[in-house]
Amino acid sequence: MHGRKAYELVKEFASGEKGHLKIFNNELFERVIEECNEHHNALQSLIRKMQEEGLEVQTAKNADHYGALVHHLSLTRNKRCLMAYMYNRAEIIRDLAWKVGLLHELPSEIQEKFGDSEEQYFKDHSKSLKLYMSQLSLDVNVDMVPPKDPYIKVRVLEDLGSGIILSDKSANFARHSMHFLKRTDAEQYIARGLMEELTG
Amino acid sequence: MASSAGEWSAEQIDDYEALISTTDVELLKKAWRNEKASPEILPFEEALVKRAKEQIQLMEETVDDFEESGHDPLIVSLYQMDLDRVQFLLRSYLRVRLQKIEKFMFYIWKTDTYRNRLSIEEEKFTERCIRDMGKHLEETVLSKMPDNYQSVLKQSVISEEDDMVASRKPCFNASLFLKDHVQYIWGYDLQNMRGKFPEPQLDTFVVAKCERTTRPLYLDGSRQSAGFDSRQVAIRTLFTV
Repeated sequence: MHGRKAYELVKEFASGEKGHLKIFNNELFERVIEECNEHHNALQSLIRKMQEEGLEVQTAKNADHYGALVHHLSLTRNKRCLMAYMYNRAEIIRDLAWKVGLLHELPSEIQEKFGDSEEQYFKDHSKSLKLYMSQLSLDVNVDMVPPKDPYIKVRVLEDLGSGIILSDKSANFARHSMHFLKRTDAEQYIARGLMEELTG
Repeated sequence: MASSAGEWSAEQIDDYEALISTTDVELLKKAWRNEKASPEILPFEEALVKRAKEQIQLMEETVDDFEESGHDPLIVSLYQMDLDRVQFLLRSYLRVRLQKIEKFMFYIWKTDTYRNRLSIEEEKFTERCIRDMGKHLEETVLSKMPDNYQSVLKQSVISEEDDMVASRKPCFNASLFLKDHVQYIWGYDLQNMRGKFPEPQLDTFVVAKCERTTRPLYLDGSRQSAGFDSRQVAIRTLFTV
């Protein structure tokens, strides 16, 4: 049935948790593309048939004309579904770039969900943002929430090594150590799950 | 108008508010609020951002000096808080704009009104976004499509206009929040009615649903939007509260 595979692809995307990527469904994707090419071939052969019969393709309203129209519309629908799939995934990837930090290594659970060119897109977009920030000489991806306190207490969850240089001091981030850090410094680490904020 | 001793008269309140509203922080707050609330990208406040950056720089140096000279730590941390908040405003303002660009990159690039509202750096950013997205979509989808169906913006060569998902535009049929300077509602000039009626709270938020698509209205008269010659008419005809 025309468009069913594309519909499945889009449905799979829509049924996922909002903001979370599912693993890139390469198989289904390829099948939809194959379908597109089949439609195109059918479309072309119908048009050729009409031309051989000497009929004006745009206006002759016979069965072939409508058949060709159906193929064209199915093709465009498949294209829309594919583009929507890629575009929406790209949107989620951009959000990841904002949340997790630019050009940092993404955790492998996320990395394995990327399709082929999505990893490259993530890197390109991070670079683009970084370039903008350096042109303004202002970091736009810290301070994501309105500041309540200038300093916050954090506990380090993973061993990050010693001698890490922060904006006002250098610190030794051993596992389970607690620190009193500036909010802007700590945000990046908290977003990547390497530290947690201690409230109360 | 009678005003009891110790209370401010209406004129004094107005003067104070007028004075307050011209500080850069207030202007930045207003720009930030407007940007956050509107679905489309608004004109870039270049001068304001420049001044804000300079003032932040000054503040940072002041705070550093205070810390080194062993100033009262409470005062230092108060200055630091203030500094953080202004920095947050500035960053959030720029961030909201960037996110709007990311969402509507093709539309903004195509439409001159919006394209002219970008700063130079934002324009370059939009260009890069479009290039990256175009490349990404090309590699994965478009290059595998049959000829005549390979455009990013058009479904196929016979489409009359840009009808693909990437070229969608922001949705304007949404509820609006109006704050401050709500001077005209339903044709009554509230200014002249002070003291005669119970005073409406002038700095409350009014949630209004648009009856049709609308452009951003700057109710304090600082900028006129095209097509409206009086604020009175604008509010009466557009909004049902």
